Amino acid sequence: MGMRVNPDMYSFILSGLQTNGKQEEQALQQVASGQKLNSLSDDPAAAASLVTLRMQSSSDTQYLQNISSLTGSLNVADSALSSVVEALTSAQSVGVEGANSALNTSNQQALAQQIQGIQQEILGLANTSYNGEYLFSGTATTTQPYAADPSSTSGVTYSGDDSTNSVEISAGQAMPTSLPGSQLFSNATTNVFKSLQDLYNALNTNTNIPAAVTEVQNALTYVSTQQTFYGNSVDRLNSTQTFLTQEQTQLTETEGTTLDVDMAKAVTDLTQTETTQQALVQAGAQISQLNLFNYLPAP
Amino acid sequence: MSSLFGTMSVALQSLLTQQGALEVTANNIANANTPGYSREVPILEESPPILSGNTMVGTGVTLKSVQSVRDNILDLRIDQETSQQSSLNSYVDSMNQVQALFNETQGSGLQTDLSSFFNSFQSLATDPTSSSLRQSVIIAGQNLANAFSQTSSNLATIQQGLDQSVVQNVQQVNQLTTQVANLNQQIQTVSNSGDNPGSLEDQRDEDLTNLANLIDTAVIYSNNGTVTVTTTNGALLVSGNQSDALTTQINSATGMNDVYAQGTDITTTIAGGQLHGIISARDGSIPSSQSSLDNLAASLISAVNKQQNDGYDLNGGPGTDFFTAFTPTTTGSNAGAAATMTVALTNPDEVAASSDGTQGDNSNATALANLQNGLIASGQTAGDYYSNLIDQVGNDVSNPTSEQEAVGLVLQQLTNQQQSISGVSLDEEATNLITYQQAYEAAARVISTVDELNEATLDMFTPS
Repeated sequence: MGMRVNPDMYSFILSGLQTNGKQEEQALQQVASGQKLNSLSDDPAAAASLVTLRMQSSSDTQYLQNISSLTGSLNVADSALSSVVEALTSAQSVGVEGANSALNTSNQQALAQQIQGIQQEILGLANTSYNGEYLFSGTATTTQPYAADPSSTSGVTYSGDDSTNSVEISAGQAMPTSLPGSQLFSNATTNVFKSLQDLYNALNTNTNIPAAVTEVQNALTYVSTQQTFYGNSVDRLNSTQTFLTQEQTQLTETEGTTLDVDMAKAVTDLTQTETTQQALVQAGAQISQLNLFNYLPAP
Repeated sequence: MSSLFGTMSVALQSLLTQQGALEVTANNIANANTPGYSREVPILEESPPILSGNTMVGTGVTLKSVQSVRDNILDLRIDQETSQQSSLNSYVDSMNQVQALFNETQGSGLQTDLSSFFNSFQSLATDPTSSSLRQSVIIAGQNLANAFSQTSSNLATIQQGLDQSVVQNVQQVNQLTTQVANLNQQIQTVSNSGDNPGSLEDQRDEDLTNLANLIDTAVIYSNNGTVTVTTTNGALLVSGNQSDALTTQINSATGMNDVYAQGTDITTTIAGGQLHGIISARDGSIPSSQSSLDNLAASLISAVNKQQNDGYDLNGGPGTDFFTAFTPTTTGSNAGAAATMTVALTNPDEVAASSDGTQGDNSNATALANLQNGLIASGQTAGDYYSNLIDQVGNDVSNPTSEQEAVGLVLQQLTNQQQSISGVSLDEEATNLITYQQAYEAAARVISTVDELNEATLDMFTPS
């Protein structure tokens, strides 16, 4: 006698249908969501790396935001300093004109008045603010850095501090947001406000005008040098921005590879499971016809 | 010499026997689709011969017994695999609920809140006196704290649900063991009276399979037809007509129900069935995820608070705790850190962006933002620690899922083998039907032949 087989052929069809159904469900879910990763268990390692990728991508978005707000304030500061340089250049011309011995006292006093105007203009520029924050008061951004002060030799008092704020523009890279007025407008030997005050006094009293002009010239050179910080900073922001944008594109692409389904493959899988299902159902229909009782003569 | 009447009686016996065999066939056909039914075969036996003169003469056939065709060893293997499969099924079901809480594939998990929180400090660094940016920091902190406490409490809810299932499963185990003990008693009685206990055995097999679904079992068949059932680790469940009920008792340390057998705690020794799967999730994987979540929350709370305390608020005052400080109830344990996580600051001015008391200073805001890259959680960044947790939660489902498939295949093989032994084949029954029918017809023919012979004999004496 031959080997007895499992008479319940349907059990195979059923388990086949169940397995196939599972695959069909998965394929359908992938097609519907466009994602091959629909739950953590689909690929735990990929899901874990997705977390890290998105953390990094989110940080990059934030760095780009930091860069854009920093670019704004740096540009405003840069243009304020350009105006300071321009004003100092005209102060220098006024001084050179005042050094001309042909001028009389009243002419010189008129020139002194012009210098006073320039002094006020530069004072205003040194108090430039952006988004309600003073740009040149160091970290004391809520304190107006400069105020006119006749009792001071420079004609002004500085109320800011000597510190600098820095903002992160990419992982581990911080950039100073501005320079404090105490550094921008003066150092041990040069002082923008004092040079102007000295020129004003020289013109008023017609004493040592050329020396005062030299002083203004030195101040002009000094501020121009300091101004390069802003230009360089904007350049650095631009290149960092390019880098971050590229990195983000890369991250998005990696995220896509991790997460997105290969649609062609998913659809093929789906079609395949449907074909398998049809085959199984047909096989099931075949089984039902095979039974010895069908061939027994009716009593 | 034999007699015609003797032949008649042999033929009658044959009629009755074939009728009995037909009955067995009919019963098999009737139960072809009954779950757990094992096909039965009539055991026909030659009747003892008698000495007729010098010759031994056969006296026909008797239906000795009806036997169920089953392989007890195979049944046990099936129950073992069933146990294993149920354990995996219930574990995977439980952990599927858990992984849904960490929905990172849809981008709605903790990661978003974690990123937003650190980013809010980065934004604040660009404008440290801005009250709207300060407000954003507080809100991002609240969102993060909510995400932690929500996830933690959802985990606890799942765990509670599983604990309820443990109690229910234990009740079901007790119902089944009571039934098995009753069936043991009945089977013994029927066997003693010499009848076939086949259908009772089928019922008991069904109960044993259901029992194996709930808990790992070891079954020993005794000669008297009864079974002794223990867990694979030896806790007695059924012996003869006695069953030992399992009990549950709340463990004061965990707040969860432990399972006891005859006064012994067997919670950790249950090795299969739904109970094992549920207990593994309830006492192993879920507490492990919960504790990772707690560790991460505690690390964040302490690192952020420390940095806050190093800085100064908008009004130049020293920084205070950002999150409500976490005080462990048990030393060295962070249990409850995630569940109770809340933001302590109420006023945006209190965010300590400055490191020297200057209003516009942003160094401490930057330092707070940079905690994102700090190795603050067990020597890892918060993001990496969380990423590992995600990996763990994913593996908690994916590993047993592959195992589930493997066990499913084994079980399918075994069931197939079992069915090839015990399943009712209609082809086979049709053949039996014809065989017994023909034998019946032949026996009837013998009777009519003997009848004719008898008549012929009687006719010899009839005057014509």
